[in-house]
Amino acid sequence: MNSRLRKVHKYSWLLLLIIIPLIMFFSMKNLMIFESTNKTDINLNFSRNIPDRDFENDLIKVAFYPKNIEIILKTTLKNPSSTIYTVDDNNKKQKVIGQLTTAGIYFFDINDIPKNIALYDDIKDVLITKTNF
Amino acid sequence: MGLDYQLVLWNKHKKTYDKIIVISMLLYIALFAVVTVIFNSETSIETLVIRAFGSLAIVMLHIILVIGPLSRLSSKFLPILYNRRHLGVSMFIAALTHGGFSIFQFHALGDVNPFYSLFTSNMDYNSLTNFPFQVLGFFALLILFTIASTSHDFFLKNLSPILWKRLHMLVYLAYALIIAHVFLGAFQQETSPFTIGFLLIGFVVIISLHIITAFKEGKIDSVKAERDTEGWLKVCEINEIEEDRAKIFTVNNERIAVFKYEGKLSAVHNVCKHQGGPLGEGKIIDGCITCPWHGYQYLPHNGQSPPPFTEKVATYELKLTESIVYINPAAFEEGTEVEPVII
Repeated sequence: MNSRLRKVHKYSWLLLLIIIPLIMFFSMKNLMIFESTNKTDINLNFSRNIPDRDFENDLIKVAFYPKNIEIILKTTLKNPSSTIYTVDDNNKKQKVIGQLTTAGIYFFDINDIPKNIALYDDIKDVLITKTNF
Repeated sequence: MGLDYQLVLWNKHKKTYDKIIVISMLLYIALFAVVTVIFNSETSIETLVIRAFGSLAIVMLHIILVIGPLSRLSSKFLPILYNRRHLGVSMFIAALTHGGFSIFQFHALGDVNPFYSLFTSNMDYNSLTNFPFQVLGFFALLILFTIASTSHDFFLKNLSPILWKRLHMLVYLAYALIIAHVFLGAFQQETSPFTIGFLLIGFVVIISLHIITAFKEGKIDSVKAERDTEGWLKVCEINEIEEDRAKIFTVNNERIAVFKYEGKLSAVHNVCKHQGGPLGEGKIIDGCITCPWHGYQYLPHNGQSPPPFTEKVATYELKLTESIVYINPAAFEEGTEVEPVII
């Protein structure tokens, strides 16, 4: 390495010395580090404040936006398969939206806001849960 | 050193190090899986893979980032530096597995393009707790891909060592992106003092080593030498240089290595043409200056790699007055023959 590269190294790390602690501080300042170990529960909030419609039960929180559906799965599902469908008034499956697996936040793009959605285990052929609007 | 380009220039040492890398990675994944099954048995296989490979890549990145400064501080670490490329490529494979499974699990199950979904599913850039952290990981992965795919002497030669080195210094940016990816992503969902503590300690270790090394090297660069009446610079007493070793000396911010060998003295530019290794920290082997990083060799009296190799470094004129070594600070063209000083 020549002296110019050594200087680039030095100033890169001096910059990181400032930037990385700032990232760490601001990302941790609201975390309850020693109290919470798993936030995959009811405390998760929607990413946007005002959905067109929203729904919540013991398993899911659902927000409909004009072009997306945001689903918060509160706990990891034990079902071998879990597919989200739009459903009609008679709970009949219409269109596949996507799949859920582990607890967390999922986003799916949609063209039209469905009346309701349902989560089906297609292997066992059972309804896991659905929205009720 | 190789005359033609091969995918990997295997040798006994590289094979040993690669075995250690592969076995360590497999052991880590196995241990991670066992601990997950014991303490969090509801975790799905996709999540297990994402977490295991993601954390493995981060551990490996920490190791990679400390190898450089450690080898500057102690030559004991040079053998690890010699094999750092393979560790880097292995780390990229772990990161790619993490990224690939994440994109599949979180973005490929809908009816839009997974990459479009990655960038548009969460646009909440004003939020710290719900920041689109996956985008940060994606850009870090792109940088790691660029570095891993150019980790070969073909690109080193064709891009030029300076450009290649600058390109590979993007790993520092990747490190910052990965820290942000983890702190704004995984740690917002699952907050563990253990994992946060690991990254905090890792950051302190990495930054301390790099900054200590940078200031130590800066001090060497800033040393002012005495001039004699003819403008030659005083290097050192002859007995300060060990046999078959060099004294490193700084002239106008450029380092020069003054070698003592077979009752003679010769001086060459300290920077190896291969990856910029410090020639003066190497030694004379089989009559050639041998770079401590990857074993590139140069003849001390003309700075040329022995035929059929074509690498050349600049040479310098020396003189010995009583027992003091002096150097003419004006460099000769790379590969210029200079009569060694007889001791």
